Amino acid sequence: MARGFISTPLYRGPEHHADPSGPWQCCCVADFFAQFSPNKTESVSPSESAEPNPALPAYLDDFFAECDEHLTSARQSLLALEPVSHQPEVDRTMLEELFRDFHSIKGLAAMVGLKPAEQLAHQMESYLGALRQGRVPFSSPGFAALADGVRSLEQVIGAHRAQAAPVDLGSVGASLDALLPLVGTVDDKAGSSAIGSSAGGSIVAAADELNAEQQARVTSAIEHGETAWWVTFMPSAELAERDINVNTVRKNLKSLGELIFSAPQVLAGGQIAFRFLLTTAAEETAFAGWQRDGLSYAPYAAPAPSVPTPAASAVSRAAVSASAAKTVAPTNVVRVGLGRLDELMRMVGDLVITRAKFEENLKQLEAQLPATQWRTLQENNGAFERQIRDLREGIMRTRLVPIREAFMRMQFVLRDFTSDPQSRVRLQLSGEETEVDKLIVERIMDPLLHLVRNAVSHGIEPTAERVAAGKPPAGLIALRARTNGQTVLIEVEDDGRGIDAQQILARAEKLGLIEAADRAETTNILSILCEPGFSTRETVDRTSGRGVGMDVVKNAIEELGGSLSLWTEVGRGTRFTVQLPLTLSIADALVFEVGDQTFALPQSFVQEVFQFEATAVALLESNEIVYRRGVALPLLRLASLFGLASRPSATSYALIVGDAQDAIGLVVDRLLGLREIVIHPLDDPLVRVQGIAGATELGNGRIVLILDALSAVRGLGNRLSGPTSKAAESARGRLQAATSGVSHRHE
Amino acid sequence: MSDSSASFILFQVAGTTYGLPAGCVQQMEMLEGVTPVPNAAPFVDGVVFSRGQVVPAVNMRVRFGFERAAYDPKTRLVVVSTSGRSVGLIVDAAREFVSIAAEAIQPPPPAMAALSGKYLASIAALGERLVMILDVNELLNFDDNTLPAPAEA
Repeated sequence: MARGFISTPLYRGPEHHADPSGPWQCCCVADFFAQFSPNKTESVSPSESAEPNPALPAYLDDFFAECDEHLTSARQSLLALEPVSHQPEVDRTMLEELFRDFHSIKGLAAMVGLKPAEQLAHQMESYLGALRQGRVPFSSPGFAALADGVRSLEQVIGAHRAQAAPVDLGSVGASLDALLPLVGTVDDKAGSSAIGSSAGGSIVAAADELNAEQQARVTSAIEHGETAWWVTFMPSAELAERDINVNTVRKNLKSLGELIFSAPQVLAGGQIAFRFLLTTAAEETAFAGWQRDGLSYAPYAAPAPSVPTPAASAVSRAAVSASAAKTVAPTNVVRVGLGRLDELMRMVGDLVITRAKFEENLKQLEAQLPATQWRTLQENNGAFERQIRDLREGIMRTRLVPIREAFMRMQFVLRDFTSDPQSRVRLQLSGEETEVDKLIVERIMDPLLHLVRNAVSHGIEPTAERVAAGKPPAGLIALRARTNGQTVLIEVEDDGRGIDAQQILARAEKLGLIEAADRAETTNILSILCEPGFSTRETVDRTSGRGVGMDVVKNAIEELGGSLSLWTEVGRGTRFTVQLPLTLSIADALVFEVGDQTFALPQSFVQEVFQFEATAVALLESNEIVYRRGVALPLLRLASLFGLASRPSATSYALIVGDAQDAIGLVVDRLLGLREIVIHPLDDPLVRVQGIAGATELGNGRIVLILDALSAVRGLGNRLSGPTSKAAESARGRLQAATSGVSHRHE
Repeated sequence: MSDSSASFILFQVAGTTYGLPAGCVQQMEMLEGVTPVPNAAPFVDGVVFSRGQVVPAVNMRVRFGFERAAYDPKTRLVVVSTSGRSVGLIVDAAREFVSIAAEAIQPPPPAMAALSGKYLASIAALGERLVMILDVNELLNFDDNTLPAPAEA
């Protein structure tokens, strides 16, 4: 429940971010892209999803906002790291922070197709991963490379934002790669040699590769004021042409100092590299320029810390402070974990209870206080109540995020489809800024995907057919969202061929889902489409499509307390409208009594409240039925479902849940009214029972259980069809058959 | 907590004194407003609202196999919390917070087969009294065969 983040979560921190050990192992590129596939079953290839999409300016804003956030945080971490950059061991939490920032930037860059930034961030991430695992010591050149990297990332991203020419990253990537150990790098394939010079992929060896005698020589050299360096040479054809080979390198190195150790090594890609351990009295600057000659170097660390190079550190300080000074425009977005908001909501709940107790006390005082004093107290109490309600509302609002995120995913799905030139489709978005509870945005993703996919594969005709029908060659799918009171409406509309009711009915009849006599008006089409048994997969003609997965879509929407409706016209198009509550944590609910216990049911589940006389109830086997506008309505007495003693009365109320022919009346004893409730999940296994969805409290500190209308309906289905029933849906089907039987008998 | 002693919350169920490590006790409060949850296990009296949290309330008398007793003004709710889960224990009385020296705490005798034996971590002598120190994780582990199958809906 408390997962996820509020704000504009373009790149939702993958689950493994929560696990401190996770990110270090999970930076493999394939895993990484898997996070961006629009859903679990359908993956978008990296190259596809990485294409920049100029059609999404709003989306890019989010990208820049998030990048700024991570760059700012990275700069802060670097400033904190700088004073300790000459120590081989640094505080891990700082490294972890940095790692996460670059990991996120990498993901963001991948999403908008900013390849250079993605690769650079990846290299920085790899280096930090190695640092954190202690595979390489931290060093001044390392710090400088990180600082350069941050600056370069900033430039690349800034250029992208200004739509300027891409920035040349120069040797930043290479110097990062040079810092990495050869073995054990999880994902060198993607990172090394990607950027800048050819000197990528180098090696830093651990000191324990050296034998005792070599160790001693290094130690004594360092004691004599020399520095020790691991130098890596990567030969290439280009270098060979310039007469640079391992022998010339060896000679040059020997001219600087003493070669303690040298060994060839085969890199992951099959390339050969040569490693040398050099002790020298020369300054770093003596060989700093050698990078273009295929050389890279890193300080030798253990057992003695390497001497910091003042030059490098001065440069990097300048770099860092310069970049910190021109921090990119502030974004006014704060990310808050959902858990914190839940916590706030709990506190407000406490406040509500305290106030209710206070009011009780106040009432007791009424007789003892002078009227004027009491009235003042009472007024303050009223203000207190309103303010708490506003506070609650305010916190609820912070849980709302634009539905944009969900809509954006649709773009990816569509791109997948439209790679098939036969079905060119345009997606038109409107109302992306409409705000919905974060949790709902997440849960509505899959149902929306289904609807969009169906629109593309079943709704939009092939180009030729469209042209023949006088339509524009490219199909149009409109995704719209808008707020309507306490609910949100989302529409998925296509200008395709529409759904032929007669074909659907014929198909349903053939599948035995309906009887010929039941062929009714088109409004029933939707419920047929949503029958679990209904599928047009067998019929290859696409005109009657739409069946696949619609039951899943409908269930998912209903579980969110929403509903689905359909408009279609043959030849003109189809529109699915999804109606959802604004938030899951607060809802308007009907409060009612069953026996002496109070329950609540979110209003969005209730189609209607139906009043009936006890005498109007008919019995079918052991099931009660009442007639409502000539249609039999099966009744479920909540008192018997929950084993409570019901108070018999002449007039009863039924809350009608489920739609059209699936409707069921939940019989309650007494209606108490409509209240705004805060929904608490009831997730402890001790109290997870059928028919109860959650809990709330109404201000007096006492819990009121929230009914789970859907599972209550399933409960009824199970009763009707006996213990062998496995699916509520099939039970409902039988229920319909049974009730229609009754109506025939009565006629 | 020092090496030589540990803090415990003491409570009574059916005449026996039990102890729980103070660290796992979130709070103790008067019992008010238990909402029954239909079809929950017999030892679950319902749910209570405690500090903004919805917490299941387990009747310890029933859990330990004693006769259910009506709540009275001494009845307390002890909310224990372990691995992110909070459960309220309805006990006959609870008002002591004690430090018990390490040497006063002993492993339970192997022959101990009372109703609470399974949940017993150790036994402590507190002056004249014996205190049964409970193992919180065992206590909140309801996945055993003591958990009756939920009533047929």
